[in-house]
Amino acid sequence: MDVTITVNGKERSAAVPPETTLLTMLRTNLGLTGAKLGCDVGDCGACTVLVDGEPVNACLMLAAQVDGREVVTIEGLSGFQTLSPLQEMFDLFSSFQCGFCAPGMIISAKALLDKNSSPTVAEVREALAGNLCRCTGYTKIIDAVMEVGARTAAGAERA
Amino acid sequence: MVIKVEDTLRTDRLTDLKEAGDSAGVPAVARERGRAPQIVPDANQQTPAVGQRVTRPDSRPHITGQTRYIDDMSFPNMLHMKILRSEYAHARIVNIDVSEAEKMPGVVATLTGKEIPVNSFGPSYQDQPVLADDKVRHMGDGVVAVAAETEQQAQDALARIKVDYEKLPLVLDPLEAMKEDSPKIHGESNIYATKVIRKGDVEQALARADLVMEARFSTQMVEHVPMEPHATIAMWEPDGRIKILSSLGRITLGRADMARTLDMPVNRIQVVGTIVGGNFGGKNEITTEPVLALLARKTGRPVKGVFTRKDEFVSSTTRHPFIMDYKTGVMKDGRIVARKVRIVADGGAYCSWSETTLGKGAILSVGPYRIDNLEVKAYAVYTNKTTCGAMRGFGAPQVCFGYESHMDDIARELGIDPLEIRLRNVFDEGSPSPTGQVLHSVAVRESLDTVADRVGWKEQTQ
Repeated sequence: MDVTITVNGKERSAAVPPETTLLTMLRTNLGLTGAKLGCDVGDCGACTVLVDGEPVNACLMLAAQVDGREVVTIEGLSGFQTLSPLQEMFDLFSSFQCGFCAPGMIISAKALLDKNSSPTVAEVREALAGNLCRCTGYTKIIDAVMEVGARTAAGAERA
Repeated sequence: MVIKVEDTLRTDRLTDLKEAGDSAGVPAVARERGRAPQIVPDANQQTPAVGQRVTRPDSRPHITGQTRYIDDMSFPNMLHMKILRSEYAHARIVNIDVSEAEKMPGVVATLTGKEIPVNSFGPSYQDQPVLADDKVRHMGDGVVAVAAETEQQAQDALARIKVDYEKLPLVLDPLEAMKEDSPKIHGESNIYATKVIRKGDVEQALARADLVMEARFSTQMVEHVPMEPHATIAMWEPDGRIKILSSLGRITLGRADMARTLDMPVNRIQVVGTIVGGNFGGKNEITTEPVLALLARKTGRPVKGVFTRKDEFVSSTTRHPFIMDYKTGVMKDGRIVARKVRIVADGGAYCSWSETTLGKGAILSVGPYRIDNLEVKAYAVYTNKTTCGAMRGFGAPQVCFGYESHMDDIARELGIDPLEIRLRNVFDEGSPSPTGQVLHSVAVRESLDTVADRVGWKEQTQ
């Protein structure tokens, strides 16, 4: 079946078998490998992307369900030489070790900051509850998101 | 502010190459800092990196989603592999029929254990088949591999493979497995590694102790759960060389294992270690690399294999569950005079890194305490469970839980403060370890004092 989605502002189409997940379509058909396959059952959050602004586990959503909708992946957050504020803070705080969870983490954090520009620690933890990290212990991830919030509150640009 | 430490470090390396005292050859950066050129830095000397904020050189690819883990790579004409795993924890394989599976759409090749030139591997003992051939020893044993055009097609074909098993009695409890009449998993005994440490006269010391405490502690199996599952791409090149891209952490060891299992010279095998999405010890040995290599040879195409999360849990290695029996003789003042420890490490179906884990666990099981009379007996035992191998600490976390819990019990029994009883027994500079190694740079006393001070231990326990 043909599926057309707007990915990172560009309309993309692919002919996929009906059982194809959004994650498989992004990674295999569209070559966007930033969203990762970690567990394939919606536990780990490594595949998190935004669908119409909401964070979803792309491994649990069928590509067909996203037909005609808007998707943002980690690749949509930065230019080739520029980083979004969230990415800058993940860089500055070294909020990752192996890096496998980072794209999903950043997307979940972006979904939060888009709605709530200076969240509390509890709100950050809640927003990232669906994203697992086995290396860091989460502290630096939360610090990075809080720092973006603090800078936004201090008048810097939006995440 | 981000300070570029890389440059200063490089300067230091240049400095090292200059003759000591050759101030003319000292780069300006080092001269400005007023440091004399040095071949070897003094002990405890602050390197320029300490205390500086650094950004990681691999930061940008990670946070922009551009890092290429194995599963992010593909090659023209690449096939996908899935593995059928055992239905039973212990069974003889009577027959394998792949004919129906091979007729499935997209299926290009299958592979069984009998097709592997040398079907065994392992870092200590080569007791583990790459794919089980004569029998399965736990539910995670791979039996048949399928290579197909898509992952889904490979997955679908697994259901069409027929394997006839003859169930065997199984043993899941390591203490049961140690008994003479228990079902045997390999050979004649399930005990496959033993470590013994003896020092002084433990029985005599226990007899004259004011108090003898005994306790059993046990820990559970732990899976590493790396975010990135095990993943490999194999390519059999037209010149007869093989190229393996793998999430393997120890590629040199992996290469030797490949050479052994494929029965080919090591110089024809290239193993490329890629960026790994979490290892924690679980990616320290080969898993399906030889299978992918042979499927690549059979098909003449690159083959990718990525573990499912289930594969990861049932077939990759885990942390050993330990059963630890402690018996400690202590005087009224809290001085420990004797300690006996028996460790039974549940190794699961194959040895993997059990020997290493057992050795380290045995040495550390006494704790960081000066005890003159010791007896440690440690055993690694086969059971029909997921294989246990390397995981951060190699046995250290298990025994730490044991001896520190035991220490708290002893302190309570004697009515001594738990911190105080530790301070009365801990290693000092020059203390011998249980195996006689003289220890230097021992800071356990200072560490305990510092922690107690920072957390307000005295105030809280008064």
